[in-house]
Amino acid sequence: MKREQSKKYRRLQKLRIVSQLVFFAIFFIFFIKTHYGGADYLTITVERFFHFDPLLALTTTIGARLFFAAFWLSVITLIFTIIFGRVVCGWICPFGAVHQFFSFLFKKTRWLKPKRDDSWSLAPKYLILIIVLIASLFAVNLVGYLDPLSFLYRSFAVYFTPFLNMVFSESASLAYSLGLASLGQTIGQALGNLALNSFFQNALVIGLLFFAAIALNAWKERFWCRYLCPAGALLGLFSRFNVFKLKIDPEKCINCHLCSIQCETNARPYPIGEWRSSECIYCETCAAICPTAAITFPLRWKAEKIQGVNLSRRKLLLTSLTTLLIAPIFKITPHRQRAYPALIRPPGALPEEKFLDKCIKCGECLKVCPTNGLQPALTEAGPEGLWTPVLVPRIGYCEYYCSLCTQVCPTGAIRELTIEEKTTVKIGTAFVNKNRCLPYALGEQCIVCEEHCPVSPKAIQLIKVETLTPEGKIATNLAPFVNVNDCIGCGICENKCVVVDEPAIRVSSIGEQRSEKNRLLLQVNNQKDSQE
Amino acid sequence: MERRKFIKELVIGSVAVGFSPRLFAQSGYPELAVVTGESPEKITRGAVELLGGMKRFIGRGDKVIIKPNIGWDRTPDMAACTNPEIVKAVVTLALEAGAKEVIVLDHTINQPKRCYIRSGIQEAAQSAGARVLLPDEQRLKKVNIKGEWLKEWEVFVDFLEADKIINMPATKVHSLSKVTLGMKNWLGAVGGSRNQLHQRIDEAMVDLAAFFKPTLTILDSYRILFRNGPQGGRISDTRLMKTVVAGTDPVAIDAYGAAFFDFKPQELLFLQLASSRGLGKLDLEKVRIEKRTV
Repeated sequence: MKREQSKKYRRLQKLRIVSQLVFFAIFFIFFIKTHYGGADYLTITVERFFHFDPLLALTTTIGARLFFAAFWLSVITLIFTIIFGRVVCGWICPFGAVHQFFSFLFKKTRWLKPKRDDSWSLAPKYLILIIVLIASLFAVNLVGYLDPLSFLYRSFAVYFTPFLNMVFSESASLAYSLGLASLGQTIGQALGNLALNSFFQNALVIGLLFFAAIALNAWKERFWCRYLCPAGALLGLFSRFNVFKLKIDPEKCINCHLCSIQCETNARPYPIGEWRSSECIYCETCAAICPTAAITFPLRWKAEKIQGVNLSRRKLLLTSLTTLLIAPIFKITPHRQRAYPALIRPPGALPEEKFLDKCIKCGECLKVCPTNGLQPALTEAGPEGLWTPVLVPRIGYCEYYCSLCTQVCPTGAIRELTIEEKTTVKIGTAFVNKNRCLPYALGEQCIVCEEHCPVSPKAIQLIKVETLTPEGKIATNLAPFVNVNDCIGCGICENKCVVVDEPAIRVSSIGEQRSEKNRLLLQVNNQKDSQE
Repeated sequence: MERRKFIKELVIGSVAVGFSPRLFAQSGYPELAVVTGESPEKITRGAVELLGGMKRFIGRGDKVIIKPNIGWDRTPDMAACTNPEIVKAVVTLALEAGAKEVIVLDHTINQPKRCYIRSGIQEAAQSAGARVLLPDEQRLKKVNIKGEWLKEWEVFVDFLEADKIINMPATKVHSLSKVTLGMKNWLGAVGGSRNQLHQRIDEAMVDLAAFFKPTLTILDSYRILFRNGPQGGRISDTRLMKTVVAGTDPVAIDAYGAAFFDFKPQELLFLQLASSRGLGKLDLEKVRIEKRTV
């Protein structure tokens, strides 16, 4: 028999790699473009990828009981998948491309040696999908932790951005030390233009999880896609009846098992009749490596018996019930009962409950924040709010004429605001700690917080205070007094305070406009205030 | 082009001669040129011309650095930063005078790129041919300031490498130093923990002014910020004065600028310190001031 690989499928395989590269490049360009590029409003919808994700559309809609218009685009993905199968996973998904690339590398280094007849169950991802969906029924938003786009973007924003920053600044300093001043200067200017954030709390955990997800590829090819990805599972459910069905020509097949061994998602192209269409991502590997070109994917509309992943009813039922039982555990937290001081949300953030229903912890806002002030929460927002964005003024303040975080939120957890609207949104209130403030406590002069207060008239006014010194002298200085009704809680005062370790003026969430309960001064006559 | 430039200079020159008889009488140029008028560009050119033209200060092949106030993310009508048209005019003048390169740099308070763009200074200066540089912390160098309070401090090397420095402050009020004019502007040329300088702000300003010694100071008082300084926020915090004050005496310039806010020079601690250290003249009566409206 003539032994020859199929030229057509080898070409298709190359085309698939090109497609993955292109989509990853688009994803990456959007990622880099998620910054202040010189205009107040971003000109491209940098968060567009998320809108094509049906899993995010479904869970945030169920969770918030509200449909976010941009998610109509996910219907395109669904229809496409129903007709053509999980092509999106194999050809478009940027996280899939990352996994495939590392699987390829691990195979080349022989850390990964795919085995014959891998019998691992592919069911876990479907169970994860069930968990995520049922949790969203309880308005517990777990999808953000495992949705591939969220996972990838968050890892990039929190780990990769500071990493890039480090690369740039280290190479600039290397250039300077080598006497290449103009090169150093060029890199320095690029760094200033890109505004790459350099610090994130929880970067260790988020970064390690990312590398763990990549390292798993050394164990099984495309581990994430095979066993974990709930978005892939959802598409799998819709892809079972698609028109491209694998066909093995029994005349040509030499029973070498190569296709099944090398199948990226263990869709089992061989033996004949075992192929699982819901698992196939149309990477074309099997058809391309088949030594006798026995495998093809002809167009066939006719329904036929289709193998699926063995999902026993018992497993499904048990998972559903367990989730029903466990989901409320995220809600048993005093965070829901009472506001927390460090829980300063970005301007435009919906009221806390709605915010948590919608926020997918993708990190778009963390990436775009020009001061690095938005940070992934650890405990600030309770168990449901892990990695949701909080403003940490000590790290960075909320830039007055900036509404970028409100522009990039893919789910509407942060409502889009114009610059004019944003400057009026109160996200917290500053308080002076007289025990640490220089004029009050030390009798030294300092008006740094007042100088930086961006609102006009300033929310920080100066009053004369007298401090008795040990020498018996009276030091008279101007000292800050916060006018709470004018303060918008931007945190620049806390950020610039010279008492750097524990600032003498600190912002807490009290007075935030989005909450009806977390208010300070009772304003009986002011009807305007309760409009929001 | 050459001829047009020559005619232009001739016209400006003859205007200067025609309107200022003291120019030759005192065998030199005025110490302060104060020019008022509608066009920011024209009053800037007029003020420099009164001082004897940019060629008096900038030589052929000079590397010039201009230090405007780009501190805040504010539009020009908020008067928190130096007027972009005035910066542009000075860049043009410096290049016309033969400067090899003109750099524009400030250590901003808000995100640098934001300030550079919203202030209009980046676009204006670049269109005139300047190299506008974002502040780069790697270009900070600890140097001996030789001040009375500040001994060592981090300074952007761009200022150390330049042949000529032009200081281009805005005219604003400040709650600690009372006003922020030319000397306060130097806080934007340094790095380090700048906020700590506020603990003895007047001494810091004078130490830095004595260190930087600009060739020329051009104070933008086109629109001044009289309230809510130093960043304002409303147009009602500003007042149109349509004036440019230029000169080589940093004390006299700040003394003149303070008068916009009805401060007497003697009321301002930093001016007293600066004058007692011989940085310039405090008493405006003793300063040769040339005023003109264009």
